[in-house]
Order: sequence, then structure tokens, then C-alpha cells
Amino acid sequence: MATRVDPELKKDLKKFGIEEWNECYHCGVCTAMCTHTDKDVTFPRKTIRFLQMGLKDRLISNVDPWLCYYCGSCSDQCPRNANPGERMMVLRRYLTTVYDWTGLSKKFYTSKTWEFFFLMFIAVMVATAFLIFLPLSGEVFTNPELFINAQGGVKLNHLIDGVAPDQFVRIIEIFDWSMAAVVAGLLISNIVRMFYFVVLRDKTIKVPFYAYFTELWHLVWHFATQARFSKCEDRNYWLGHWLLMSGYTIMFIMIVVALPQFQIEEIKEWYHWQRLLGYYATFGILFFLIYVTIKRINREDVKSKYTHSSDWLFIIMLGLTVLTGILTHVFRIYGWPATTYVMYLLHLIVLIPMILVEVPFSKWSHLAYRPFAVYFDQLKQYKV
Amino acid sequence: MREEIRIGVYICWCGNNIAKMVDVEAVSKEMQKLPDVVISRTYKYMCSDPGQDLIITDIKEQRLNRVVVAACSPRIHESTFRKTLSSAGLNPYLFQMANIREQVSWVHSSREEATLKAVSLVQGAVERVKWHEPLEKRTVEVNPATLIIGGGISGISAALEIADAGKQVYLVEKQENMGGKVACIDLTYPHLYSGQQLIHSKIDQTRSHSNIDVFQNSEVKKISGYIGNFEAEVARNGQEDIELIFGNIIVATGLKTIDAAKVENYQYGKLTDVFTSFELEEMFLKGKVAKKDGGIPKNVVIIHCVGSRNTNYHEYCSRTCCMTALKYANQLRSALPDSNIYQVYSDMRAIGKACEELYTSTAGRDVMFLSFDQQDGMPQLRKADPEDDCEMLVEMDEKLSGETIEIPADMVVLMVGMEGHDEARELGRMTGLSLCGNEFYIEKHPKLDPVATTTDGVYVVGSCQSPKDIPDSISQAKAAVARILATINVGSVEVEVTTAVVNEEACCGCQTCVKVCPYTAISFDEEKKISVVNEILCKGCGTCGSTCPNGAIRSRHFTDKQILSQIEGLMSIHKPE
Repeated sequence: MATRVDPELKKDLKKFGIEEWNECYHCGVCTAMCTHTDKDVTFPRKTIRFLQMGLKDRLISNVDPWLCYYCGSCSDQCPRNANPGERMMVLRRYLTTVYDWTGLSKKFYTSKTWEFFFLMFIAVMVATAFLIFLPLSGEVFTNPELFINAQGGVKLNHLIDGVAPDQFVRIIEIFDWSMAAVVAGLLISNIVRMFYFVVLRDKTIKVPFYAYFTELWHLVWHFATQARFSKCEDRNYWLGHWLLMSGYTIMFIMIVVALPQFQIEEIKEWYHWQRLLGYYATFGILFFLIYVTIKRINREDVKSKYTHSSDWLFIIMLGLTVLTGILTHVFRIYGWPATTYVMYLLHLIVLIPMILVEVPFSKWSHLAYRPFAVYFDQLKQYKV
Repeated sequence: MREEIRIGVYICWCGNNIAKMVDVEAVSKEMQKLPDVVISRTYKYMCSDPGQDLIITDIKEQRLNRVVVAACSPRIHESTFRKTLSSAGLNPYLFQMANIREQVSWVHSSREEATLKAVSLVQGAVERVKWHEPLEKRTVEVNPATLIIGGGISGISAALEIADAGKQVYLVEKQENMGGKVACIDLTYPHLYSGQQLIHSKIDQTRSHSNIDVFQNSEVKKISGYIGNFEAEVARNGQEDIELIFGNIIVATGLKTIDAAKVENYQYGKLTDVFTSFELEEMFLKGKVAKKDGGIPKNVVIIHCVGSRNTNYHEYCSRTCCMTALKYANQLRSALPDSNIYQVYSDMRAIGKACEELYTSTAGRDVMFLSFDQQDGMPQLRKADPEDDCEMLVEMDEKLSGETIEIPADMVVLMVGMEGHDEARELGRMTGLSLCGNEFYIEKHPKLDPVATTTDGVYVVGSCQSPKDIPDSISQAKAAVARILATINVGSVEVEVTTAVVNEEACCGCQTCVKVCPYTAISFDEEKKISVVNEILCKGCGTCGSTCPNGAIRSRHFTDKQILSQIEGLMSIHKPE
């Protein structure tokens, strides 16, 4: 069955960052350069060809963009300046919008206005709800010493007017879990769609039932280690990215699963596991964030040259989250109750919109798509 | 009583080229033993000045009257050594060359056997040269007028150049109007200049030039004569015979497009909106690109190599279609900004100045490039179904992706290949030109002499030699003009003397030789009932001599005696058991 070529696809892809697509004349230098090239030696050239021909179906059922970590070697060596690395990046943005059934992802990627107003809307909702339902106790100004614990720091969970400390932690915990459920629900439904496009709809493969389980370790292994990323020539990126990823995971566990152990009134010694883990997570995220920010500003390597507005937004939001988190922690230790409350609120105002936009709909969704792509790619080896 | 034969034999080392595989000293010693060989020497480079001086001195001191040089191919240095003989006062035809480089040292790996073969070849030359006769070069006067056949861009360019030099030109154009293929096109590649402006100013200059007589709607009916002295009969408007006398001929008859219907998979003539590239040119000239029903096409598919580079049609590349197709993409993008343009190509050939740049800039104008394989991926065209949302579908195996794809099409443009005219063979016969197997004329040498032909005084320029673009055609036209003006300037030309001679007494008038002569150099004398060789046209190929049942034709410098002696010389060497 012949597939119809579609020149219109280019118009769609323009908004994701593709200006031109005919430079490539398929010499295959990219394939020769790439450490991920496998037996059929079509990576990443074949994907670029699908793009040029507007073969939308082929692109959608193709996981190759997720299997590229954009080291930039191909783009560096390309004799036509066709920039295959950046093409793969653009396709990851595009595929994210294809998997997403709500249509929000496409709105966010293709319209800065939409994304900005959505973020603002969530931020205002968070601020309003917090100020109405969890207002700052007036006694903070009349009797500030009531809010200071034995270590001289702020009793964080006492700051709310009319809400008991246990109750406050409980409210936040319930909110965390509900938000995690919403985000996970969206993400999982998108992964199901990805599974449909990539595996189910592919008539050239027939996956035996047992393979879904025997190949599952790829998913877990690659999620935890990003082993494929480590095969790229420049391993610094992998290491930095892994620091960020591990820091983020630890932080996620602490604020969702272990909130009662994390958000406590007492300030532990600096070497307590709870503080050490927090510091590690903060360091991990911050380190890589600063690293890529410098790279993107200097625009020295290919990978950092073409920063899409969605990339900047991600860096800014994550940076602000970390910054407000650190300040909350500092103000708490110094025993400034009102400032701590304000900073805590600001932290949520940045964090919650970021999670809601980035994880299911935007750049951050790759945390799921990449390991699933490796898993699906394994399943695609079961040819009919 | 024959004169005393005194032969000098010279064996060249060619540096190490010959000497490393052939024992040149041994060959020399063997030659010394032969009767009539007065002297036999070896030297490092026979063709060098000291090498030639060696021969000259020997000719004078040893009173040599025959010379044999064993060295490289005679194609390379025969003329060199003939001149050496001349400068020593010896007739240059009293010389024979043996090729012991290309035929011996370069192709053998046993020194012993190579040496033996060299001895054999040189001995053959020695036996042959004994029977050589002195021959005298002759010259003929050159008529300063030139006949140009074909009034396309090549013919016109040549005509203007000659006429501007003050010489007479007769330009014969078969069509109603001059201009050829260039007059049929709107814009030229790669700079998108107007072809019309380009050609029409040239046509006007040609018409009004006092040194050019233009015969439009005319055909050359007969050509006779030889370099410097040709005569032709030209029929104008199919009747009135004009007789012309001239010294040189430029053949600039161009080419034609192949019949697109022959390439059946494209359904030309069956599907309404399949056009040839020249039909699209017509649309551009008229200023409106539209389907047959007048509608604007949404999807335009341009298919390359229609009848070219495919062993079922023509194996060669038609040279100009790739760039013309890119030019169309540019024109279509401007004429139909909302259309989808597809280039279905086999290989993109962007040779020539500014052509790669044209490819790059066109690629940036929303054009989709799809590649097919000539052997097993030829595009197939069919009418689309109503739900397809287009008129036709082009289905093909896309080479770079390995996918079977279909392309929606509302208009298909076939980049038809180029081929020689049907009359090329007939005109070739009249002018003494050969075809290369593709109805294109053969030039004298594919690299070193691309404008002259094997018939002296006849030049091929432009696309009748092979498909060409405008600059190449004009370059070739002007190159031919330079050659012609040079002969006109000298006023006379040297002609070959190694020609055939008819023994009038032995000729029985069977005319076998007349039929076989590839240069139309033999005519039949009705009065004497014998064949007559035009020694100017004759190239001395020997075809007539070998065909003549009576042995009445003798080829000068290739007499039976000479050839048989050479063979005897070759065969008298025996490999030691």
C-alpha cells in the first residue's frame, strides 16, 4: 500500500522550529557519525527523509527521535548544514503534541501567548486558593516568637490561620497526590496513544504476549540510568542530566510520598538524611540547570544553538522553583515567619503551573516518552 | 633496379617505461643482424631533442634512407619522427614505427617474452619499411565562404562570428524561422534570463548582416567536393534550387525531443493533464499555466529522465533537463504560489556554472524532491479516484526512503529526453559524418578535437553532436569558427596522401568500392566505366582496397607488399624451445 506524500506537513512543523527541510541529500554522514546507528544504518537519516517527504504516518509510528539525545555530532559534520540533530529535536516537540489527546500540548508549543496565559491562570488560581483557604496567621506580626522553634527557625506548619499543623501537612499532601494523579493520568493516556501509533498500528510487527514482559526491563533500566544517553560521545551531558534527573526524583519522592517526614516543624542537624537528600536534590537540579543555561547563552555547540521558546520557559520555571525553594529554606532557618510564608507561596505559584504544563504537555514529558520509546523499539523488533 | 636500402633502427627506453620490461640492448643487437640494417641503437628518450639529433646525424653520416623507431604508440610520436626525417632531408614516409610500450612493456610481465615480442614487432617494421615509397603532401586552395546548416543558437552564433570577420556565410535553416530550440523556451537556466530576448536579437543581427545569406524553409539536397572546395544544392520552399560554393561546412542541426508517448508508464496522450516540458514552455510563453480545462493545478509533478538514462529508451543523459526542471519549479512557484511542486528525479545533475546554486536555491522554495530508480522504481501514473482529491496519482518506490509512495497530481510535466533528428543519418551521409550510435554526430576526437570531424572541412557544433546547454553550444560554435577562420587565413590546407589509387586497367567497373566507401570519396566515371577516387576526401582507410575483387585498388602506404612483408617479418621470429 502506497503512502501519500504530504507537502502540507511542513507548514505544521514550521511552528515547532523547522524552517527548511531540503538541505539533506542523504549522503549518510550523520549515520556514520552517530554512536546510536544500528544494523540497518538508517538512523537518523531515515527520519529526516520521512520529514522531507511529509510522510506523517511514518513519522508518528517512528520512535527514532526519542532515541536521539542530541549530542550534535551529526549536525557538526553534515556537509549540507542540514542539522539533523535539531530536526530530531523539533520532531520530539511535534511528537509530544501528536501523542497528546487534549490538544493543549500543540497550543503550548505553537503559541507563546497560550502557554503564558495558561501558566498565569494556574498561578493566579494557586495564589487565590492559598490566600483564601490557607491565610497567614495574624499573630505572626503580634507574637512572632510563637512561630519560632527550639532551633530558632520558623515553625512552617503553624503559619496558617485556623489550621492545625498536622492538618496543614495533610492538606498539602492530599493536594500533592491529587496533582500527581492528574498529571500521571494525562501522561499515561498519552503513552497509551503513543503505544497505539508506534506498536499497535504497525502492521509489519507482531509482538508475542510474553515479549511485553520480557522486554519490560528496558523501560525500567533506561528510566533509571539513561544508559542509551551514556553512549553518546560527550558523556558530560549524560552525567549532568542524570544528576538533574536523580535530584528531581528524590525531590518528587520527598514532597509527594514522604511529605510528613520532610515538611516538619523541627529543623534537623545539617547532616540529617532528610536535609542531605534535600541538598543533593537541589544541587543536582541546580548544577545541570546552570550548565545548560550557560551553554544556551553562549550558543557554542550545536545542541545549545537553537533554543526554542519552550526550552527557555522550562529553564526559567525550573530555575525559579529551585530559587524560591532555597529561599524558603533559608528564611525558615533564619526565623523569618512572614517572609517564609510568602516565599513558600511563591514556590507553589511557580511549581504547580510548571508541573501542570511541562510534565504532561511539554518538554518534561520526555521523562516518560524516552524510556517508553526504548521499550517500544524493542517490541518493534518482533517483525511479522 | 631498386636503390640500395640502408635502414637505421632506434630502440627507445622511454625512461624506465620500456627498458624495465624489454631488454632494449638485446633487441638492438638482434636488429643489427638483419640484412639492410646499417645501424641499430638504443636511447633513453628517442623523442627528446638529443634523441632526434641522433637520428638526423645518422641519416647524414650513414646515408640512411629508411628509419625504424621502436617506442610508444604512433598516435603519440609518429608525426614527431616524420618531421625528424624531413629535417634530415629524407621523405617522411620512409619511416615506420613499432609500438613496444603500449603493446609490449606496459602489458606484459615476463621480461624474456616481452623482449621476444619486441624483437618480432621491430623486425616486422624493418621488413615493411624496405618497401616504403616517398609520398608528397599536397595542398588545396580554400574558398573563404562557409555553409552553416541549422539556424539555432549554435548556427547563428557561428554565422555572426564568421560574418563579423568579414567572410561570407550561407545559413540554411529547414524551418520557417530561425531560432531553433531556444526560440521555444521562455526563460533560460540558471539565471532565468529571457530566452526570447537572447535569441531574437541574434536572429535580427543575422538577418541584417551583409555577409550572411539566410535561406529559411530550405534544405541542403546535395553536397560534393572536399575541404576548401565544396559545392551544394539547396532547395528553398521545396523547389527552387540554389547552388552554393564554399570552403567549409558547419553542421548545427540540433536535436529533437523524444516522443513522450513511447514511455508508456506516463500515459502521455492518454491522461489529459500530462504535458511535455516543451508544452509547459509554451504555457509560460503564453503567460498562463493551466490544465486542459483551464483550471489551476494544485499539485504539479515534474518527472525527470523521460526517455533518458534508461536502456529501454536512451542510455545517455540529455544533459539539460535537470536544470530546466528546477527552472520550472521556480517559475511555477511564482506563477502558482499555492501549488505543491514535486520533482521526481533519478539523479540530480547540477553540472555547469551556477547550476548547483540553482539547485540549492530551488530546494528552498517549497519543492519536494523524490527519487526513483531507473531499473526497478519507475514511477507509474494512473487516474485518481474521486475520493483521492486530485486528478492523477503517481506511484513509485522512493529510493532514499525505501517507501512505496503515491504523489497526488493535477498536472504532470514530463522532462522529455533529447535525441538526434531522423534526418541526421541522411545529412551525415551527404557531409561525410558518422553517427555515434545515438543519431548524434561523432567528433574527430572526444577530448582533443571535439569540433572537427573525420571529414576535413566539416565541423559539428551544438546539440547535433550531443545534448548541450546554450553556453556549451556557443562555445563549440565559436571554437569551430576559429578553426575555419584559421584555414581561410592560411588560404590553403594540407591533405592526406596515404590515399587509395585505382589501377584503371584492372578496374572492371563493378562499383563495389563506391558502395563501401565510408567517406563518399569514390565516384563512378560513366564514360570510362571505372571508379575514381577523390584523393582529397579519401582517408586511406583501405576498405575499398580490401573489397575490390580484382585487386584494382591500391592504398598508398598500405600496399599489399608492405603489409605482407611486415607480417613475414613478425612471423620469422621463433620462440626458443
